[in-house]
Amino acid sequence: MIVAAALCPAPPLLVRELTGTESVLPELRQACLAAAAELAACAPDAIVVVGPAEQTGEWDPRTPFDLTAFAPGLSRHAFASTERPASAGSEHGQAGGLPAALGIGAWLLAAAGYQGRSVLTSVAHDEPTRRCAEIGAGFAAAPERLALLVLADGSARRGLKAPGYLDERSAGFDAAVEHALRTADPGALLEIDSELAASLMATGRPAWQVLAGALGGHPLTSEIRYSDDPFGVAYLVASLRPWPRTDLT
Amino acid sequence: MSGASAGGPAAQGDDAGCPREQAALRLGRHTFQPPRLLLMAIVNRTPDSFFRPGDTWDESAAMDRVHQVVAEGADIVDIGGVPAAPGQHVDAAEEIRRTASFVAAVRGAYPEIVISTDTWRSEVAREACAAGADLINDSWGGWDAKLPDVAAEFGAALVCAHVGKQQPRTRPFRVSYSDVMADVVEQTQKLATRAVAAGVDPARVVIDAAHDFGKNTWHSLEVTRRLGEMTATGWPVLVSLSNKDFVGETLNVPVQDRLAGTLAATAICAWQGARIFRAHHVIQTRQVLDMVSAIRGDRPPARAVRGLA
Repeated sequence: MIVAAALCPAPPLLVRELTGTESVLPELRQACLAAAAELAACAPDAIVVVGPAEQTGEWDPRTPFDLTAFAPGLSRHAFASTERPASAGSEHGQAGGLPAALGIGAWLLAAAGYQGRSVLTSVAHDEPTRRCAEIGAGFAAAPERLALLVLADGSARRGLKAPGYLDERSAGFDAAVEHALRTADPGALLEIDSELAASLMATGRPAWQVLAGALGGHPLTSEIRYSDDPFGVAYLVASLRPWPRTDLT
Repeated sequence: MSGASAGGPAAQGDDAGCPREQAALRLGRHTFQPPRLLLMAIVNRTPDSFFRPGDTWDESAAMDRVHQVVAEGADIVDIGGVPAAPGQHVDAAEEIRRTASFVAAVRGAYPEIVISTDTWRSEVAREACAAGADLINDSWGGWDAKLPDVAAEFGAALVCAHVGKQQPRTRPFRVSYSDVMADVVEQTQKLATRAVAAGVDPARVVIDAAHDFGKNTWHSLEVTRRLGEMTATGWPVLVSLSNKDFVGETLNVPVQDRLAGTLAATAICAWQGARIFRAHHVIQTRQVLDMVSAIRGDRPPARAVRGLA
């Protein structure tokens, strides 16, 4: 049973230390932390963190998130030590640590003060829509009270200075995603075309579809906490609240 | 010349000559940890210094210069009343007249800034310290043996510079060294040890290779190239490179065209661990120091977004 869900983007710059001295997009970070804190406040049995990665699979939550993969030398700075469980045994982890999206998600939960159990699930960039939906439905069918933190980014081709340069189709594409969330209709995310998403560098596609599988068709309310593309990547932060909470299975 | 012998401040009980960890440096009320690179801005109370002569001879112009360098990020203001080069004679009374009251005025305007008095004379240093100076920049390398006593008496810091066998305000004449860097390390450590013996706080002793002083251009280049041998002693190292003749002769450029060469030398010294940089151009020097600190990994970038969005 899903008691609450949140959608956040996963740019590394969310991790405060990675932008150096200056805090970049504090309003985005605050929106994500608020969404994560809302999940923690539900006191779920576990928070399921879902994010895109090279392969589908479950990750030991003790796997470290290696910030130095993005910022070599960071550990030499006094400000470098936000990693979650410092004691994380690398023997439990994979070489290179958590995939970035899961690492960002785990970082958000820790930064929001969550200390409970988490389940880290990656979905492959090319995971078919049906399989993504099945993964989500599996969480919904679980007997435990689960909260869902979905890390998913929109198109990275939203402007001339965007990482992937401008693709005119990105505006409509991301608008459709936002519409699905604004109208509390995550099931509509199953209609996203995987090939179009890939060509628009919208890496969130499989994670959105896990969310759709978990909550599609259920009565929900939603709140959009942030929607903008300051660096040419569509960032969307949303909270989804099943309604009424008790009869959702 | 023999090599290093005396141990640096962080080296008690250690073998001589081994690379040593840098320790905290204390200047005035401040304690500066090793990764922090300090910028010492030059303020001359002279009519005839080599760079922009007479620019701050007038007291109000000198105070304007202090306002400017503080705003630009200087950590230390170095106030001098006598040019390094030979020229018009300036006796101790005149040097005091030029600098002591100005030190007091700067102290009044900036209670927190570190003030350095650039003098080799103990009587001048005494007046400057009484007026609020935190640091005695003895550019002529221990010429006046009573200088460490003044530093000890006032709790001031002392810069121990290498000048070979030069007397104050003289130019090098056919100087030679069998190994200039070994001599620099040996002599500056000797002065540092002498200062500590005189009662100067070991955390307030700085050593300076003194580029151009008692050195030809080849010597200054060698000292720059091998500066790591000085920083390895553990004593905090000051370098004074700004617009000097070794830069001018290396690039064959007049004094007003030496900024790029100065900054290149600054970067090389910062990379090798120098901690105090005496300079005319504060903004540009600060940028070089911040850049080198970031490359060394001692300082994060100001704002990193590229590739992280």
